Amino acid sequence: MNHPALKDLLYHLADDLLILGHRNAEWTGLGPILEEDIAFASMAQDKVGQSWALYKLLHDLGEPDPDQVAFRREAGAFRCCHLVELPIGAYEFSLMRHFLFDTALLLRFRALQSSSYVPLAQLARKFTGEVKYHDLHGRTWIKQLGNATVAARTRLQAALDEALPWALGVFEAPPREAEIIGEGLFTGEALLQAAWEERVRDILQKTQLALPDFSTITPAYGGRAGRHTEHLAPLLDEMSEVFRIEPDGEW
Amino acid sequence: MPTTSLDPRINRMALATDVTPSEKPPLDQFGTWEVFVQARDNKPPEHAGIVHAPDAEMAFLFAKEQYSRRGRGCVGLAVVPTDAVWVSAYVEGDQNAYDALPPAGPAAGASEAYVVFHLQKRGKQHQFAGMVEAADPPAAAHAARKTLGAEVPLNVWIAPAAAMHASDEEDRDFWTTLPEKKYRDATAYKTTDKLKAFQARQGG
Repeated sequence: MNHPALKDLLYHLADDLLILGHRNAEWTGLGPILEEDIAFASMAQDKVGQSWALYKLLHDLGEPDPDQVAFRREAGAFRCCHLVELPIGAYEFSLMRHFLFDTALLLRFRALQSSSYVPLAQLARKFTGEVKYHDLHGRTWIKQLGNATVAARTRLQAALDEALPWALGVFEAPPREAEIIGEGLFTGEALLQAAWEERVRDILQKTQLALPDFSTITPAYGGRAGRHTEHLAPLLDEMSEVFRIEPDGEW
Repeated sequence: MPTTSLDPRINRMALATDVTPSEKPPLDQFGTWEVFVQARDNKPPEHAGIVHAPDAEMAFLFAKEQYSRRGRGCVGLAVVPTDAVWVSAYVEGDQNAYDALPPAGPAAGASEAYVVFHLQKRGKQHQFAGMVEAADPPAAAHAARKTLGAEVPLNVWIAPAAAMHASDEEDRDFWTTLPEKKYRDATAYKTTDKLKAFQARQGG
């Protein structure tokens, strides 16, 4: 089946999840405390698992199998947003990115539960619970640190200000979005962004962090068109290093 | 001092005995929380271990991935601060921990709900046994003896229900995908089988 708009939709989400899953996994063994290290690594693994399930749907639509798609594409063939490509930075940045991304992810999965593409709707229903925990994790930390010491709040505010333009890039509309919305595959990025802004605002209002004026921020677009930051290619090199040694290996 | 032995136990015998212990500095870490996991609807919640956390919400976050990130299933999770748990004396064999309770004191104060956990067998975990209403933990133990004492536990934990932070019924979907995460179990990789097959190929 050749359905370019549907494939776009699936690739955007799957690539976001794979790349952020890989990025967040870079904290394994380095987390701020043991318990958080395990939680963060575990959620990173969930994201890679979700990306695998989406690549599987793409495979059913005639794309190469998930391993090929994940490990053998050049950076220009990826459709992830820039937010997920950025290096992990200090923990507060990774935490803020996780909070901003997963807030959108939860809303996206909830919306996708009523997708007209039944396999996608089923998958969204299956993964919503997993992402509900990711969302709870992100906002609980933000509430905790956003009401903590001056040092914590200062660092968190800087991370928020740094991450926001990139976070808005999550909602870059794909080229064939009219078709996606028209066929009921997904409700669209603009609606999602509006819901996301409201939810992020609600959560930040329960902290001492300064509320952003989303309308004054220039979103980092380009990822959905295959234009990426300089950080994606080295990530892909590292991620596929073992795969390339033995492409037919079974693990 | 010249080394007289490589055995630290021998060397310790010569330690100075007139040392006054210095005051222990306060702990530079979070408090601990006891974690209870319910694996299935027809099984009671069971003690799984502890986490360090600054408050109940964070303890819950950590406990979820610490103690329910792999396994056949999970339908609920609860945390309670360690210092909120009242612990009975331990007994052995076929003795009943409830028989070792000190006599009940005079009833005082308003009553509240307590959660009761029993240890039925050494080496196993404390399991949820039931709830009681009482004015304080020792009184709760006596109340539990009347309603739950037939279980003959080796040890009893009692915690105020108000101190427990538990998952909501609507959060059961946190664990929908848990049974599928076999890649978190070393056994799922069947390394022994693969190694044997490899050795067979090398040999043949």
